[in-house]
Amino acid sequence: MIKVTNVVKQYGDLKALDALSLEIKKGTIFGLLGVNGAGKSTLLSILNGLTPIDSGAIEVFGLDLKKNIKKIKEISSIIPQNLAFYEQLTVKENLEFFKNVQNGTFESFEKAIHVNALGDILTQKASTLSGGQKRRLNIAIGLLNNPKIIYFDEPTVGIDPKSRNEILESIKSYKKFGITVVYTSHYMNEVEMICDEVAIISHGKLVTQETNLQNLEKHFLELTKESHV
Amino acid sequence: MFSAMLKKEFLLVLRDKRALAVLFLMPALFILIISVAMRDVFTQSSVSYDITIVDLDKSKITTEMINDIRKNRSFHIVDNANIVITIPQKYSKSKKRLKIEIKDSLKSDEIELFKAKLLKDITNLKLKIIKNRLMEFSDEAGAAIGSISLDSQDLFELKYNEKEELPNSTQQSVPSWIVFGMFFMITPISTVFINERKQNTLSRLNSMSVSVFSMVLSKIVPYLFIAQLQAFVMIGVGMFIVPLFNTPALAINGSVLALMFLSFALSLCAVGLASLIAVSANSGEQASTIGGIMSILLGAIGGVMVPKFIMPDFMQTLANISPMSWGLDGFLDIFLRGGGISMVLNEALMLMLFGVVTLGISMMMLHLRMKKGFE
Repeated sequence: MIKVTNVVKQYGDLKALDALSLEIKKGTIFGLLGVNGAGKSTLLSILNGLTPIDSGAIEVFGLDLKKNIKKIKEISSIIPQNLAFYEQLTVKENLEFFKNVQNGTFESFEKAIHVNALGDILTQKASTLSGGQKRRLNIAIGLLNNPKIIYFDEPTVGIDPKSRNEILESIKSYKKFGITVVYTSHYMNEVEMICDEVAIISHGKLVTQETNLQNLEKHFLELTKESHV
Repeated sequence: MFSAMLKKEFLLVLRDKRALAVLFLMPALFILIISVAMRDVFTQSSVSYDITIVDLDKSKITTEMINDIRKNRSFHIVDNANIVITIPQKYSKSKKRLKIEIKDSLKSDEIELFKAKLLKDITNLKLKIIKNRLMEFSDEAGAAIGSISLDSQDLFELKYNEKEELPNSTQQSVPSWIVFGMFFMITPISTVFINERKQNTLSRLNSMSVSVFSMVLSKIVPYLFIAQLQAFVMIGVGMFIVPLFNTPALAINGSVLALMFLSFALSLCAVGLASLIAVSANSGEQASTIGGIMSILLGAIGGVMVPKFIMPDFMQTLANISPMSWGLDGFLDIFLRGGGISMVLNEALMLMLFGVVTLGISMMMLHLRMKKGFE
């Protein structure tokens, strides 16, 4: 279980997270829904040990985040919103590099290729890939350390509907590997399609956390209206 | 983990063909151009003149005079020179004067020097005429005239303070542009660091617990290799390409081991400075601008653009603050004074210290900026 308790993170005058508390169950696909600037990316960055918190507590699979950053990084993986690989290297070279850096196994390497359908483009330079293929490579890199938790930070931004569906389907398949997925998005239909449980956050605060996704729509519509105003 | 990082960096560096071309072609071209262009400025041999002699007298005496001039290393007798000396008819038997036409625009002191050099040969000729006439009356008197020498070493003993040995154009330009070429790596190294940030891979590597030490070290190792290659390619240009343009070839008079030691120390210094600029800058443009300006300034102060030995004293003292000057002095010790490791030890240690300190600061800064989440 991932337990976030009263977490505060402030950037200057801006409170990115304001006493946020939530719980994420092991083995589920957990959605974090919110408009731009709600604090979703900050929370993911904190959960992955990239950004320190100002106050509060976080426990990941029974480990205190502050004391066990290295261990937690080893069992988790973040798929950043922006593509994060080497454009000048081929798909295979990128995967091999990130596998070796994390002491990944051949099995995890094969799995990353298979799940993300990269087999046919291994020798292609990353800079020559289509938008969807780049997204898939970006995700595949996150699987190379055999993570127990994967954090997805809006992985479908700026891609065509076909590639988007392929990516969502592949994320759904992680459940069968026992991986806990935390998925951030500002698209209601995406979280409805793949998530078991969803939390809506706004201005760094938890608005609601639901397993019954029917109840989410009205909360989210209110938030969207508010952000448009 | 480190070997994977290193392999990736080598792949990235080798695939950036344009940056590699600039790192090798730019200093090679500078060496060639500057060595050839400055050849005569750096030449320390005595002044010589190309002359054409038109002998209208065609006597035994004038033929002898022309032979004397030919032996004088101050003159080269060629066809169609810009200085034409015409020996009029009956010159040897009359008081007629030589006609000298100078088509070049020479300064007055150059004309005076030319006249003085020619006067020596004409005076020798006149002495020969007098000696021959005297010999008709007295062998003794003729021999006395014949023993008169107008060579400077027979006439006076010159003592002067010998100046420090100065480099020729190749000896000056090869080390200068090796040093400048290595510091020119600031731009590609900064680009590599900043691309890592821009491509979000720095943050990704951070999330994978890759240490700052591994990140920085893996980035600088390929450039340390390139710098050694760069130095020896430039030395090759000085030894084998420059002489093809009628310019003195570079000779490694000193120890090759000292050369390798100095080259490594210099490259460590250059990559240290490059890393510091790369982690301080917020964008590639900023790094290129700061790096470019810094390279040119350090080069200008350190004697790369203008040789230190022609700088005024206070500028020569100021030059010592530039690491480029330390490197340049070291190379000149090897090429010019035949130096070994002990002769370049001070310069090499200073360069290495500079490199280690700047690398240390770069790593600390990168660590702090990543902790703050500078992306």
